Amino acid sequence: MTALLAARGATRRFGDHVALHPTDLEVQAGDAVALVGPNGAGKSTLLALLAGSLPPSAGSVERAQGASVGWAPQRAGLYGRLTPRENLELFARLADEPDPPARATALLEALGLRDDARPSGVLSVGQRQRLNLALALLGDPDILLADEPTAALDDQARERFWELAAGRRAAGGAVVFATQAGDEPARYATRVLGLEEGRLV
Amino acid sequence: MRRAGLILAKDLRVLRRSPLLLAAAVGYPLVVAVLVALVGAYAGTKPRVALVDEAGLPPALQVGDRVFRIKPAIDRAGREVHIVRLTNEEARHQLDTGRVVAIVRVPHGFVSDLRAMVRSPKLELETSPSPFSGRIVREVQAFVYALNRELQGAYIGSNLEYVNLLQRGGKGTFLGRDFDVLGLGRTDRLLAAEPQTPAVVSVRKFVRAARLALAQTGDALRATANPIALVHVPERGRTWAFSAQVQAYALTLTVGLLALLLAAGSLAAERDENVIGRLPATLGELVTAKVALGAVVAGLLGTAMALAFGIVIETAAVRGGEPWQRIPLVTLGLVLAGASLGALGCLVAALARDARTALLAAVALALPLAFVAVVPADAVRVAGAIGSLFPVVHALRFFSAALYDVSPWRTLAAEAAWLVAITAALWALARVAARRLLV
Repeated sequence: MTALLAARGATRRFGDHVALHPTDLEVQAGDAVALVGPNGAGKSTLLALLAGSLPPSAGSVERAQGASVGWAPQRAGLYGRLTPRENLELFARLADEPDPPARATALLEALGLRDDARPSGVLSVGQRQRLNLALALLGDPDILLADEPTAALDDQARERFWELAAGRRAAGGAVVFATQAGDEPARYATRVLGLEEGRLV
Repeated sequence: MRRAGLILAKDLRVLRRSPLLLAAAVGYPLVVAVLVALVGAYAGTKPRVALVDEAGLPPALQVGDRVFRIKPAIDRAGREVHIVRLTNEEARHQLDTGRVVAIVRVPHGFVSDLRAMVRSPKLELETSPSPFSGRIVREVQAFVYALNRELQGAYIGSNLEYVNLLQRGGKGTFLGRDFDVLGLGRTDRLLAAEPQTPAVVSVRKFVRAARLALAQTGDALRATANPIALVHVPERGRTWAFSAQVQAYALTLTVGLLALLLAAGSLAAERDENVIGRLPATLGELVTAKVALGAVVAGLLGTAMALAFGIVIETAAVRGGEPWQRIPLVTLGLVLAGASLGALGCLVAALARDARTALLAAVALALPLAFVAVVPADAVRVAGAIGSLFPVVHALRFFSAALYDVSPWRTLAAEAAWLVAITAALWALARVAARRLLV
């Protein structure tokens, strides 16, 4: 079975500090991989490498041909002076989505975001995290990578997110997420990987 | 390019929603441009030159039969330099410390040479080794030239006294000796009373010819002393505040700084907002968008400035104002200059990474860039050579040619090529360095 996403000896150094030692990981269709470990274990670094937002210092990250990735970083990546709709429409246009306004409307509703003129920078932390996740779900990605996706969400929003993640898996995709929430790996993951001091354990 | 266009549209929208940022971004370079203009005006003020009087110049000097007043003559001649009388020791100290830019020394024997009118008295000029010594030498040469003209007037006046004496006769003094001259007029009258022999007639003919010739002596002497006279026709063309030069400086500095700061700030802000890693656009497209931001904002703001300048010229009825014809050329230059300074801003942002550091670095870079733009390349050659590698100098030359030159095309083509080449080189460097923004 061909992996949707694979890390092969992926390593990341920041100066002299090795944030992630050579790591091998394969993500198959239908997988829900939870990355767990203490702060500074290398979870965010591994997710950023898998998302392609951080180049590996050594090794490689491979993606199945045609497979798309949606990436929700731990600190919401969005334009604070644009409204949530404007953020979604801009990212949709950049990703060549066919109908950006319709897609933005659907995601605003799906994540329970208000469609008003407030810039995203003044939203609450939880609202910004919903927008962060909505941006990751643009384009119905085959692989959803999320770094502590539910950390700032209320219970209702958490449930909504996991429903959307399950939908991705059901459509032949996969989810890889880092979490500190104790019950989430058991409830939502098909595989749990522990990281400690930059190594898979 | 489509993605770069989308990011550019986003940046313009963000800019429109940030009135304070926009005001600061426009206001700061304007303030810098005004300050530079003031510095430029200061550079045009008189240099301070020490006058060391070893000869003991008297308040007035007898030149022939005329009195030559020295202090008013120095004041009139020293319009382009500020003359300060100092002792030799004080002058040397001030020259060493840069308080004066040159010493003009009046050596012993100067006054006696001047009085005797047998050989030229000499002034000694001493300058410090500075990039501006050439200008100082020219200013002091102009001072000596003006002083010479004053003296020429006195000398010519004195010589004409002798000519008048030859014509009319009377008592005179030369080199301290008194003498009495009959004069051509009295000679003619004496000869008229004599029998008109052929010899007397011949001498009278000579006397009349000599009187006619000597009557022209004054004009001839003045013409010989000043073969070419420069006549200053004042108050023609634009005043300095509306000159094309001031406009070129204002456009270059204002728009240049704005493009540099905006591109640097907005690229680094992409990293600060944590969007670079997830943006469905390549780093090349992102850098292109920021370069385009510099070009568009520079084009819009600069053209608005040029239009405002033109309106002021029209409403104030400033002479020599042709404010509209060259605006398309100016706009082209603004876009090219904005793009190249935007590319420089991108490189700064990629190296600095976060927005605060990037803006600080851009401001720090802007000051020496403004310096190399306002200092003429031939004044400080190293600065000129370094400056030619950066866009500001070429932008200034482009605007100067577009606004000044009757036939600017050759200069415009050369400077446009420079700006395009610099933009391409900086874009490539910024694209490579932008990988730092991912970390």
